[in-house]
Amino acid sequence: MSRLPTSIGAALDRLVDASPVERIVISIASLLFAVAVGAVLVLVSGFVTECDDPFVLLPGVGYGCYNPLEVYWTMLEGAFGSSSGLGRTLQETTLLLFTGLSVAVAFRAGLFNIGTQGQMVLGALATALVVLELGQLVPQNVVGMVIVIPVGIAAGALAGGIWGMIPGLMKAYADAHEVITTIMLNFIATGVALYLVQNHVGDLTSDSVLTETIPSVARFPTSISDSRFSMYALIGALLVAVGISLLYTRTILGYELRTSGIQETAAEYSGVNAKRNIVTSMTLSGALGGVAGAIYVMMVQYRWQSGIPALGFDGIAVSILAGNNPIGVIPASLLFGGLKSGSVAIDLSLGVPNELVDVLRGLIILFIAMPEFFRMLGKWSGFGSDPVGASGGEEA
Amino acid sequence: MNVDDESSNRTRTGNLAVHLDGITKRFPGVIANDDVDFEVESGTIHALIGENGAGKTTLMNVLYGLYEPTEGSVWIHGERREFDGPRDAMEAGIGMIHQHFMLVDTMTVAENVVLGDEPTKWGGLATDRKKAIEETKALAKQYGFDLDPTKRIQDISVGEQQRVEILKTLYRGSDILILDEPTAVLTPQEVDGLFGILEELIAEGKTIIFITHKLSEALHAADDISVLRDGELVDTVSAENASREDLARMMVGRDVLLEVDKPDVERGNPILEVEEVTVEDERGVTVVDGVDFSVHEGEVIGIAGVDGNGQSELVETITGLQTPSDGSITFDGTEITDVSRADRIGMGMAYIAEDRQKRSLVMEYELRRNGILGCQRLPEFSNGWRIDWESAEDYVDDVIDEYDVRPPDPSAEAHSLSGGNQQKFIVGREFERDPSLVIASQPTRGVDIGSIEFIHDRLLDLRADGKGVLLVSSKLEEVRRLSDRIAVMYDGDIVGIVDPADVTEEELGLLMAGERPTGMDVDSARVRRRESA
Amino acid sequence: MALGAVFVGLFIFALWTVGLVGSSSISSALRLTVPIGFAAMGGIFAEKAGVINIGLEGLLIIGAFGAIASLYALSVTPIGASIWLAFAFAVVASTVVALLFAIVCIEFKADQIIAGLAVWLIALGFAPFASYIIWDQTNSPSVGSFSAWAIPGLSDLPVIGGLFVATPPVILLIIAVPVSWYLLNRTTFGMWIEASGEDPKSLDTAGVDVRKVRYAGVLLSGVYCGIGGAGMALTVGQFVGSGDTMMDGRGFIGLTAYLIGNYNPIAAFFASFLFAGLEALQIQVQQIAGFDVSSRLIGIIPYVTVLVVLAFVGKTQMPSSAGDHYESDD
Repeated sequence: MSRLPTSIGAALDRLVDASPVERIVISIASLLFAVAVGAVLVLVSGFVTECDDPFVLLPGVGYGCYNPLEVYWTMLEGAFGSSSGLGRTLQETTLLLFTGLSVAVAFRAGLFNIGTQGQMVLGALATALVVLELGQLVPQNVVGMVIVIPVGIAAGALAGGIWGMIPGLMKAYADAHEVITTIMLNFIATGVALYLVQNHVGDLTSDSVLTETIPSVARFPTSISDSRFSMYALIGALLVAVGISLLYTRTILGYELRTSGIQETAAEYSGVNAKRNIVTSMTLSGALGGVAGAIYVMMVQYRWQSGIPALGFDGIAVSILAGNNPIGVIPASLLFGGLKSGSVAIDLSLGVPNELVDVLRGLIILFIAMPEFFRMLGKWSGFGSDPVGASGGEEA
Repeated sequence: MNVDDESSNRTRTGNLAVHLDGITKRFPGVIANDDVDFEVESGTIHALIGENGAGKTTLMNVLYGLYEPTEGSVWIHGERREFDGPRDAMEAGIGMIHQHFMLVDTMTVAENVVLGDEPTKWGGLATDRKKAIEETKALAKQYGFDLDPTKRIQDISVGEQQRVEILKTLYRGSDILILDEPTAVLTPQEVDGLFGILEELIAEGKTIIFITHKLSEALHAADDISVLRDGELVDTVSAENASREDLARMMVGRDVLLEVDKPDVERGNPILEVEEVTVEDERGVTVVDGVDFSVHEGEVIGIAGVDGNGQSELVETITGLQTPSDGSITFDGTEITDVSRADRIGMGMAYIAEDRQKRSLVMEYELRRNGILGCQRLPEFSNGWRIDWESAEDYVDDVIDEYDVRPPDPSAEAHSLSGGNQQKFIVGREFERDPSLVIASQPTRGVDIGSIEFIHDRLLDLRADGKGVLLVSSKLEEVRRLSDRIAVMYDGDIVGIVDPADVTEEELGLLMAGERPTGMDVDSARVRRRESA
Repeated sequence: MALGAVFVGLFIFALWTVGLVGSSSISSALRLTVPIGFAAMGGIFAEKAGVINIGLEGLLIIGAFGAIASLYALSVTPIGASIWLAFAFAVVASTVVALLFAIVCIEFKADQIIAGLAVWLIALGFAPFASYIIWDQTNSPSVGSFSAWAIPGLSDLPVIGGLFVATPPVILLIIAVPVSWYLLNRTTFGMWIEASGEDPKSLDTAGVDVRKVRYAGVLLSGVYCGIGGAGMALTVGQFVGSGDTMMDGRGFIGLTAYLIGNYNPIAAFFASFLFAGLEALQIQVQQIAGFDVSSRLIGIIPYVTVLVVLAFVGKTQMPSSAGDHYESDD
């Protein structure tokens, strides 16, 4: 170690302050590495599991059931190869846009919101309950829809916003780390929602924990046959992404929110109420998580029921993959949406568990978290025999 | 070289404790040390001076085994040594007292002293804490340090912490001690204490090297002085035969005006009036106690005092970052006691905060973003909600240009700049928007000599333009040089307002320590209050 | 810390006096303390050394899955279904994952929070994925479990006798708590851990390799979580991979336990025990027929407690340099 930093530190410093291009390179490299590790996992799994139609025989090891290339190809085909697949992909993309933006908004302001999941769970519940009530009071036509859907979104945003405001308040006024508080609030959100639905507001006649089905005026009009995907939701999500990007690059509010989050003392110096801004950032982040929940109820599930997918955690991967750039969130969600959608196909047609995507999600986050890894790799491949990285390891 | 030093009357042995022979240290793109020959005679105090970035610390890190020299060799007591890390240097008897103390705040004095070299018992299964305390006590006694080994670092004073640092090196048997800027954090009285300790160490046969950029300290305490400039050793001289002017010239490579030429400026109307301002901290302790003073147009008021006597809180109250519990503040004729910080900025108050990395800059922002920090709501840069980045960038370009900020790159992030350049950028940002009052808190702390000169000139330019300047500094020289009047703060109050021409450094020192020099005429609100009561 | 301990002590005393807990409930609470308590102690070592490990939950999952999968695999080999061997494999597995996490954080300077989160998410995806591969479903079949050990003599005592019948993981926990405290507070290693988290530069200049100390801290968290996860799985005798897996946030409760216990293993143990006690209570309440109303709410008590403590009681004394990379100056 003793000679390591002087030899690589300064030289690689230019890479540390990654330019947008380098960030994109790191994101793509992380994705490729995650996919490669996933391929190894799939290949190895193929030797553990049993099947009728093995793809390879390794003498002494046994039959391998899965061909990683085939798995990824099936994934791609499943995601984009059919109209129902594409609908599923775009549906996931829409949801991930909101959860990804939720995480990105907080990150831009120097805050790590792991609580998008909880904000989404409660936002979804609020939306379901509000549209169930409101849906009965409005005409059952387009007019009703134009009333109910925005109100439903607002309800989700409100609930998510409040749930996001709590860690914001705790961060600003009690100096409690938002990572800890949002993790706790995720568990609390799930517990509270399950309790309410199971015991008070749900369909108490059912054995499952769920609410009644929402009326058709509360459902987004579908855009692709065999799918619940709605173009309106996607367009809305894209507009939100652009709006957030403008907020942070062009406006005083964005500048001040960001300054408050990354350096509270400097924000105060600049004449800003930093604590209030931290709360604002977290509330905004929570509201976006809540909207994701609203869309989930009104476009995907048509009710609240237990086992809401972990879109909040996917949102972390999406945001990190996008370098926390609101515009970058758009391709990142499409990519992740494709992965999720494709995982359904590999499960159905190849029997590879769709949890593979959850592993990939974690791996992507892990690889992006260590840009240094890619820098060392770049150094290696670029300068061939320079044993800098190796000496770092062996002197441990 | 064989001249008896007056202050210590030491006999020179002529033996070299340290000999750095032809040391060159290259970093990618930089030569930090260029063929430096550095010799330290055994049993002497040797000062190493130079501007920030001259290569002093790099040279000492080579000696301490933290860096391997690119070329050259290290000789200790006449023996050639190669250090593979600080551990080797320690074994060779070299100890280093860093500028930022290497002490674990939550651990005790004794634990810190033995850390890394702990006495153990039960075959290593437990730390022998009793022995650690005893050895620390014995060592402290030997050198006459007054320290309680069982106290935690966070509970003792900075001066005491420095003594713990020294004990750490002594515990490891060091006989060559390197001190990096040892006086930077000390009060004048503590500085005297430190020099006393150094004498004590020399008497016990140790050799001392200390890094400083304060010429007076080098002249006062050292036997020999080596000057580094741009990585090269300019010369080593005996303190006896050197003058401040000589040393300054060697440091910067040209003549330096140590005395600032301060033209007469007509004093105008009061721009800032502080009346009976009292501030309490979070725990309700009064930290600023009924302070009164005013700053006029065309005037520099200097606030002197040992850090921690309420200056920071007073400044933060005037700038709107803290709320006073009592009293009023008037700025340009308007009472602003309850006016927000943003509005004070809008009214023309500029502020150079003492902790620039915490307050005046967002370290992760590029200069272009930092250029509007605090000005983001001013009409020049926004229409109320949208930022006009074009004019912001023009402004930043101007600041970088006029204030010689390096690198001259608006997209450089603040943390990548040196302290001096960060400060020049802040000064430029705050001054260029034509403020009517400037509050400059420790404006030259951690800044190199060249930039100090520059910042001083700009402050005097403002004064000449008829602006008011409130200067807070713990550097007496600076306050004396720039101020028209000096207010001395002690224990939350201004204990005296004096004319720098009528007061000696010693008298200021006494005021700063809360004493009232005999026969001295001071204008003190506290005294007035006491007498009128 | 004192506050937290008093808080916990009072709570347990209250439960005790109300008579809701008999000795058998205490032993069941202790069994439930195993994953929480071990995660808490592991977290203390990592974080005190300067590496915040929020991946504790993931390590527990790896420990639990590793134990059951090993036991299942061993049962078809000539070695047979050796519980202790499976236990050892699980600890090794969790420690290897912790090692990877340490490399990522220390060598590649990853953001510790994000990397820790990744460890959790990877484990959360991997365990059910692998369960499907092996057992064709997210939950394993029952594969055997530790039997309880009774301490001769004491276990025959009336009323409190149940306290002296304990499973091996519980006994390991009871031993590990004071040992951890001793390591941290009385040994040179403990001093290094503290210095590494508080002020790594001081430790470095004192000639101790900060990286080694940090590796040791993180690896210990892997060992502890391996024991905790495997201990729980081998007590239940099965791996449950559905939902948030059988760990169901226990790693995070462990994290909160050491925050409340302010990095003191003993206080963290009591906090863990309190939370486990609540869980035991919840199970008991459920068994009282038709009284299921508040079990979900009881389940969130640990999380709410932490929020309340963080909001109103004040900050815990987090090591000052935890979360920061340390790069030696040379």
